[in-house]
Amino acid sequence: MKRIILLQTVVLLILFIAGYSLAGTRETFERHFMLSPWSIAKGETSACIQCHTSDNMDPEMHAIVREWKDSWHAKNNISCHDCHGGAPEDASMSMMHQRGFKGTPEDIDIPEFCGTCHIAILGNYLNSGHGKTFNDTAEGPSCVSCHGSHDIQQASMDIINEKLCSQCHTYDRAKEMKQALFFVENKLSNVRENLGRLQLAGIDVGDQEKSFFRTHAEFRALFHSIDVEAVRLKSSDYTKQLEVIEGDISRAFEQLAFRRNFSAYLFLIFIGLSIVVFLLSKSYESK
Amino acid sequence: MWAKLKHWIEVRIGLEELVNRHLRSYRTPRGANFLNTLGFVALIAFIVQVITGIMLLLYYLPHPDHAFQSVQRITNEIPYGWLFRLIHNIGSNIIIAVIIIHLVHVFFRVSYKRPREVTWITGCLMFFLVLLTSITGQLLPWHQTGFWQTTVTSTIPAFLPFIGEGISSYMRGGEFVTGITLSRYFSFHVVILPVIISALIGLHVLLIRRQGISTSPALEPENSNIAKTEFSCEEHRQGQPCFPHFSLKRLFMVMIYFVVLFFIMTFMPNLFLPPEANMPANPLMTPETIRPAWYFLAPYQLIKTIPNDLLGISLLALFTIIFTFWPFFDAKEEERNIRKRPALMGVVLVLLALWACFTVWGMY
Repeated sequence: MKRIILLQTVVLLILFIAGYSLAGTRETFERHFMLSPWSIAKGETSACIQCHTSDNMDPEMHAIVREWKDSWHAKNNISCHDCHGGAPEDASMSMMHQRGFKGTPEDIDIPEFCGTCHIAILGNYLNSGHGKTFNDTAEGPSCVSCHGSHDIQQASMDIINEKLCSQCHTYDRAKEMKQALFFVENKLSNVRENLGRLQLAGIDVGDQEKSFFRTHAEFRALFHSIDVEAVRLKSSDYTKQLEVIEGDISRAFEQLAFRRNFSAYLFLIFIGLSIVVFLLSKSYESK
Repeated sequence: MWAKLKHWIEVRIGLEELVNRHLRSYRTPRGANFLNTLGFVALIAFIVQVITGIMLLLYYLPHPDHAFQSVQRITNEIPYGWLFRLIHNIGSNIIIAVIIIHLVHVFFRVSYKRPREVTWITGCLMFFLVLLTSITGQLLPWHQTGFWQTTVTSTIPAFLPFIGEGISSYMRGGEFVTGITLSRYFSFHVVILPVIISALIGLHVLLIRRQGISTSPALEPENSNIAKTEFSCEEHRQGQPCFPHFSLKRLFMVMIYFVVLFFIMTFMPNLFLPPEANMPANPLMTPETIRPAWYFLAPYQLIKTIPNDLLGISLLALFTIIFTFWPFFDAKEEERNIRKRPALMGVVLVLLALWACFTVWGMY
């Protein structure tokens, strides 16, 4: 009898201690995990979007949201407040300078405005012919001259074209730069396409994408120096970096081929087994 | 050596007597064909899901920050993890197809009639629970497809008056799909639903064993003179022994199940994994098209087509209730041969055609 009472006391004590210690854990768990903002609310309640799409706004204000929604920024979750600051979760305070609201930048401030995120590009741009002209005259090409503002699309070689460049100068030098970029750009494009194909096939290419992004960003930053010689000199470095990624891509495709062959092997085995079982079944039925 | 081992087992559990009584002496109806084995195929498919599910469970992390990455790791880093994931993914669709064909076959043979009403109801319940398991499983990899499918499916019950909001809120564990939803769906997917389904399988199999396999009214008409007011097991004395005759038919159909599974895995590995299924869930980015799985396309299109959401979901609820308890609605009619019941056959064929049309329509 004493043993049973002792056993019950021990069990109760264990349960009490476990429950007591878990109570704190549960609170922390709820605070940090269960109620984290994994909800669609974040996007839906952006005060910027709600206000700019309201009926009280001018149509051109509506166009800003429309253009942004189709932009490369939107596809990468870069929202209004990431550039313009403010408090998107609080409509009454969203445009208060105390909450970091920057509003629309003056033309002269555009490079600094975009350079908040595109740091390496800003440095190369300011030291380039484009940046120097812009700083000296406040009229030269800034970021939006080539990339646009809210309808920004993923940058490509197509941006360097006669129509755009010849607005300010002859196309010859731009053409020379385009030729210097061609080989690495082509490789970048192939690698991006193959990474996309692998991702669709369910292959984890997270590390390769990071490496690709780094190479891509560095190369694009270098381009903004508008220095053809520098681009030519560094091209072999970028080619090597891309070849490492291409090696990984090639191994991933081999892995996909192995999976297909292995599945096909199992498929054939079961076809064979089903034929054997079917014939066996028929032979028993005829007996 | 083999004889010694056999004798050792024989002394302890009487294997010979067990096989004789439950397999050799157990007889299946005359004319039992491959379609009669679909219940067994569904059972094997369920076991395959359980085994592959356990393998996935060893590496899966049910947390919004880690779930997607853990599934990626299973697919790409764990040796043969891709195989288990694909079998689980493709198998979850095949099992539903098998159960649907099994239910339609049983319905056309009118095998749900007294004394098999409970067998039919347990079958229907298992079907609904398998669908629920599939819904809860879609969210677990925390990819775009699963996240947005869950957002949509958990909104549907909200159209019901009074209780709808409560059901939706309970499914999500709040207003939106969050970590709570993932935690809740995970518990249902890996423990609660499989345990209930296993219990129902036990009951379903027990009833079949006790009552005997239903006969085909065309090949082996039941003696309708026997009033079924007392328990009787159909022994099918004219039929074939379960082992090896019927067991080989079962084995053949199980092989066909694996053939279909590996055919899809070889030639269409991403059939049930759209491009968005390889992207982590992003609550800020709604995919261009959110479409439910193929087996939900018909009810989804029905709700979309009917202008009043309440009417749409009420119709579905009504249909589900009538379908599940059909043996009681059909209790007065004695005729078991559906060919002699053109009205019932017509209604079922029209409903099946409508279901197929709505499914195809739902794809576009």
